[in-house]
Amino acid sequence: MAHLFQVGVGSGGIVVLDALARDRRITRITLVEPDVYAAHNVDRHLFPESAVGRMKADLAVEWIKERRGDVSVEALIADITDPALMPRFTDLANECDIGVCAVDNEAAKFAFDSLMRSAGKPWTLGEVLSGGIGGWVHRFTPDGPCYGCVASHLQRNVAEEQAVPPPDYANPDAAIAATRIPANKASIGAIANLHAAVTLELLEKSESASEPGFTSLLLTLARVPGVFDDAFRTYRFRIARSEACLICSALPASVAGEDLDVALDQALARLGHE
Amino acid sequence: MGLLDTEFGKRRLLSVEVPAIEKYNEGRDAEFKIALNRVGGTLVLNYQLKPCHNAYRLETRLLSSYPTVPPETRVLTPLRHCPHLLEGQTMCLWRQGSTRAASRWDPAKFTCIFAIQAAWRWLACYELWHDTGEWPLPEAK
Repeated sequence: MAHLFQVGVGSGGIVVLDALARDRRITRITLVEPDVYAAHNVDRHLFPESAVGRMKADLAVEWIKERRGDVSVEALIADITDPALMPRFTDLANECDIGVCAVDNEAAKFAFDSLMRSAGKPWTLGEVLSGGIGGWVHRFTPDGPCYGCVASHLQRNVAEEQAVPPPDYANPDAAIAATRIPANKASIGAIANLHAAVTLELLEKSESASEPGFTSLLLTLARVPGVFDDAFRTYRFRIARSEACLICSALPASVAGEDLDVALDQALARLGHE
Repeated sequence: MGLLDTEFGKRRLLSVEVPAIEKYNEGRDAEFKIALNRVGGTLVLNYQLKPCHNAYRLETRLLSSYPTVPPETRVLTPLRHCPHLLEGQTMCLWRQGSTRAASRWDPAKFTCIFAIQAAWRWLACYELWHDTGEWPLPEAK
């Protein structure tokens, strides 16, 4: 019996979810997804064209219930970075057995990493590269590197091929355009199914407490001069936790709660009049 | 990950950013020290830099999504219109997702002081551009 906590049910996330929900060990699923199913999603998604305009989270719940009526499913139409919902997300991270991150924005990945690391739970992350030329699957365990360690080590270039409008510097709180990776459904499906396989393997490992063999797995799907010499090759990376990582290594837990606020107020008062 | 309203954000500030700012200020002339102020959900660093001949007043904003999203720095002292200067005199310092060699922001390795060092470098480039018409560093890719 395992509780899956998944953020993101886009074109990749729904494939991961579909594969995981069919595993009988998964008995409870909690989804977090804020987006509406849009017309441009149809070519790459499992949901039908007739569902355009509905919430992806609701559609994902229906998808699961039609296939696994015995699974308990809950969907939150929410953004995983929303500070107002952090207590709820923290509870979910503490309650779950394994996490899946299938989002393509950095803030959400760091937010999920923070939640799962604080809860001491294993989780996985899938990333499809621009143009569908390949993708990454990362696996995170409580004692291993954080997402910051991995991203900093790999130094990936994840620039999108499609131009995204530049941020409006006159209005930094304005909505930011969604990142769209122009990959085809086959490429997304290949990486997403690999993501699901790694997640199931990690679930099994966490049950038997075995040592994971890698932190990051790269699968190439196309030969790209200067980037990938061959299509359909895998590369395994074992990335160590960085002692110097500012995301996971420098956050003492000695001060907490209201004391943290007091310490912060004192620091701001000290530095505010420099 | 709200910088001022989540435990992660507060811990990051107290254990990483505030000590880095205090170390930067140590022994520095008063007018060149960093002042740190809260403006809504944003932290604003106000300071002055003098890369070559001129002193410039600047502000660096740590948005609610910092450190995932890089700091934004703008020059308060009026500048001539020049390359790598965005609306509101915001410096074009880095592009998220680009490689480290080409100015990628790395929240696992950089503090807000890195942003100030980058601003100093940008202003040095500005003064050279002012004299020669050439921006001496390549574009961020």
